Amino acid sequence: MAQKPKIRELLDESACAHNKNKKSACNAPTPGATTGGCAFEGAQISLFPYADAAHLVHGPMTCVGASWETRLTHTRWPGRDLTQMGFTTGISTNDVVFGGEEKLRQAIDYIVKHYAPEAVFVYSTCVTAMIGDDIDAVCRQAEQTHGIPMVPVHAPGFVGSKNLGSRLAGEAVLTHLIGTREPENTTPFDINLIGEYNVTGDMWQYTPLLEELGIRVLSTLSGDGRVANIRSAHRANLNVLVCAKSLISLPRKMQERYDIPFISVSFYGKRDTSASILAIATALGDAELIERTKKLIAREEDILDKKLAPYRKVFQGKKAVLNTGGNKSWSIASALQDLGLEVVATSVKKATEADKEKAREYLGEKGILMTNPGQEQAKIIDETGAHLLLAGGRSLFTAIKKKIAFADVNQEKKKSYGGYGGLINLAEDLKNSLQNPVFNNVARRAPWEK
Amino acid sequence: MGKITRRPTKPLQVNPFRLTQPMGAALAFLGIDRCMPLMHGGMGCTSFTKVFLTRHFCEPIAIQTTAVTDVTAVLDGGDGSIVEAVANITKKVTPSLIGLHSTGLTETKGDDLRGVATQVDYPLVYVHSTDYEGGLESGWGKTTKALIEQLVEPTSRTRTDKVVLLPHVSLTPIEVEKVKDFIALFGFEVHALPDLSTSLDGHLGEKQSALSNGGISVETIKGLADAALVISVGASMQPSAAALLKKNSEIRHRHCAHLQGLEATDQLVATLLEANGREKPPASVIRWRKRLQDAMLDSHFSLGQTRVLLVGEPDFLAGAGQVLSEAGTKITLAAATVDSPQLDTIPADEVMVGDLEDAEARQANYDLIVGNYHTEALAHRCNKGLVLRGYPNWEIVGNQLKNDLLYEGGAYFLCEVANAAETMRAAPH
Repeated sequence: MAQKPKIRELLDESACAHNKNKKSACNAPTPGATTGGCAFEGAQISLFPYADAAHLVHGPMTCVGASWETRLTHTRWPGRDLTQMGFTTGISTNDVVFGGEEKLRQAIDYIVKHYAPEAVFVYSTCVTAMIGDDIDAVCRQAEQTHGIPMVPVHAPGFVGSKNLGSRLAGEAVLTHLIGTREPENTTPFDINLIGEYNVTGDMWQYTPLLEELGIRVLSTLSGDGRVANIRSAHRANLNVLVCAKSLISLPRKMQERYDIPFISVSFYGKRDTSASILAIATALGDAELIERTKKLIAREEDILDKKLAPYRKVFQGKKAVLNTGGNKSWSIASALQDLGLEVVATSVKKATEADKEKAREYLGEKGILMTNPGQEQAKIIDETGAHLLLAGGRSLFTAIKKKIAFADVNQEKKKSYGGYGGLINLAEDLKNSLQNPVFNNVARRAPWEK
Repeated sequence: MGKITRRPTKPLQVNPFRLTQPMGAALAFLGIDRCMPLMHGGMGCTSFTKVFLTRHFCEPIAIQTTAVTDVTAVLDGGDGSIVEAVANITKKVTPSLIGLHSTGLTETKGDDLRGVATQVDYPLVYVHSTDYEGGLESGWGKTTKALIEQLVEPTSRTRTDKVVLLPHVSLTPIEVEKVKDFIALFGFEVHALPDLSTSLDGHLGEKQSALSNGGISVETIKGLADAALVISVGASMQPSAAALLKKNSEIRHRHCAHLQGLEATDQLVATLLEANGREKPPASVIRWRKRLQDAMLDSHFSLGQTRVLLVGEPDFLAGAGQVLSEAGTKITLAAATVDSPQLDTIPADEVMVGDLEDAEARQANYDLIVGNYHTEALAHRCNKGLVLRGYPNWEIVGNQLKNDLLYEGGAYFLCEVANAAETMRAAPH
């Protein structure tokens, strides 16, 4: 029991900037007025990309039945990609009444026998947490039997939001994996990438550049991740937290425990990508490395600018309204500006204070920060003469009514928008949106309408 | 009929395709006009369902959650969070109905939905839909039954021209519309319950409402008991038909195991002719029957040499299995999400309740798969042909417009499967 994470402590994260003026805990959802995923989903998002590990969900069918094979987290793991598989005990009424531990034990045995994973992550869920299955004990025994790490993940959905779930996943990795294995060798430039899940291969947009600079990604949590590597993560020289404040507890604790400093970065857009690569080099503190990095950034920006030149003509003078949430409110805005679009408004409805500050910084004095985008965006499109609305599906009709182009920012993306290379993908997609006559054609009046 | 395995034989499911009762319940409520489905559980149950259905239909999905937390799970019997949720929902929007349905979490703690319903001063229908029993199909079926029991007003009158259609969950929005139109051709006024054909049919609406956008109205549901005939489609809808008969014993009931293929459509036509007293169906029906006959003959050569794995809900398997086997397709394996009396009617060499790992273990037995999105990876890995059907279907657009039913849809479906089989045989392995 002592190994179980303390939720209150995790919610009170000292490294969070907004911690001091927070009115209530991050995780109190309102009945009838809540959107967003649960802690289990957050844990799943954070850990599933370990493709060499099996991810066994101890719960009823909804938890994994509705969620496996939903994220394009690519891996180069040469074995069977366990990320794209669903494993669940799929508990029944009988298990609810008599307990599901025996079934869980058998399920672990089955997985080890048939799929030979490097580790098994065992996720508790609301129902199995309520009936009190002791997944710690089952994992401990299974670890002794099978000789591979068995990681209990205590993030049943009802303890809170996705963010908290990611944090709990980080706790599980810190408690059960990090520091349990020594790396074969070390370099002065070893880093861990935390919170990078390599969705659509985002990570591979910039890791070759890091390699070229002589920076080694010792481990990741968890994009293209390997269990063996994360076990050695305690030997890194730097933790790099990628676009994910949800995992901030982990690098903070690793700093306390292993004296590894950490920085927080984002790889969306040209400016942020360049700044992030340089920040990594600077944090590693080698003058020669910093020089090399500056040269590489100049080279890459030059290549990118040449590739973007034809797009700039398309985007010149074009205005965009952005209606999305969280850090996307400024990170996408930044990428759009890098392409030469003017971002006239962005939504800060669900953004934190820090996100709002950043949005203001990127949009400038004249930029509009929408607090109620559903109501405001139509009017803003009229007033600013915007050409493009980037939002979720619900806003589609606003764009059609205003006869302007629409891009769904919430749609599951199929190609990477990350790093320098991803910006070309984004430019291509936005160009296609802007030039597509469909929005105008759809808005055509029916012959029977007056 | 071949061998039937009614229960999974393993301690876990690997690559599962079973979906759950709360999702089926939510979907049924989305077939009611201006309804707000309210899932009683953790917020993740709702979030997963919302994302799942949004991706399948490419439409915004209206649904809310009671957002049960670890604390309320212990301290609240459900009344607190449900009453609060209804208050918060109705502060912002005015639904015609709140569709309250439970999950594994709240069934484990044993919340008394019926008791809570009496405390809510708002139109509300409740249904127990735990996710550790049954599946998508039974969640949908149970909800339809609850809607009838809790909303329909009893009567003893009947209107001879009124028909109630009870479609199972695997019928697409356009299929529901096709069946409604087909029955209407025989001179009837038809009401489907639930009715996705006007809500999730993928139409461009003026307003992207926070509530379900179309479907059967609550008023219409209340008045369903004066129908002369109720037609249930799929074994999962039998209990709903029985519930309607309790509201008016004068209603005649015809049950269709499914509406796919020549024989099943013929039986429906016979029922409708008997009900309207005419000799012959309308000309378009006669024409489509001939087209289906022709499609059966055109496709039989390809289908006759094709061994098929069917994956899906039991009511779907019965229909798809029947239309394919009428043209000589060998259904070597049918993988069902859950047990159902319908499993006995599936024309397959082997029927099993299981997962895609079980299906993969039998890969030598089939050449082509008819199943959902999750079967795509299986088809690639094992070099099988593929026709995508069922929930979820995330990779292609237009799921709501696929029609496989009756004479018309049967003709399209046989051609599509035969063409997929030929493409597969032509592909280099």
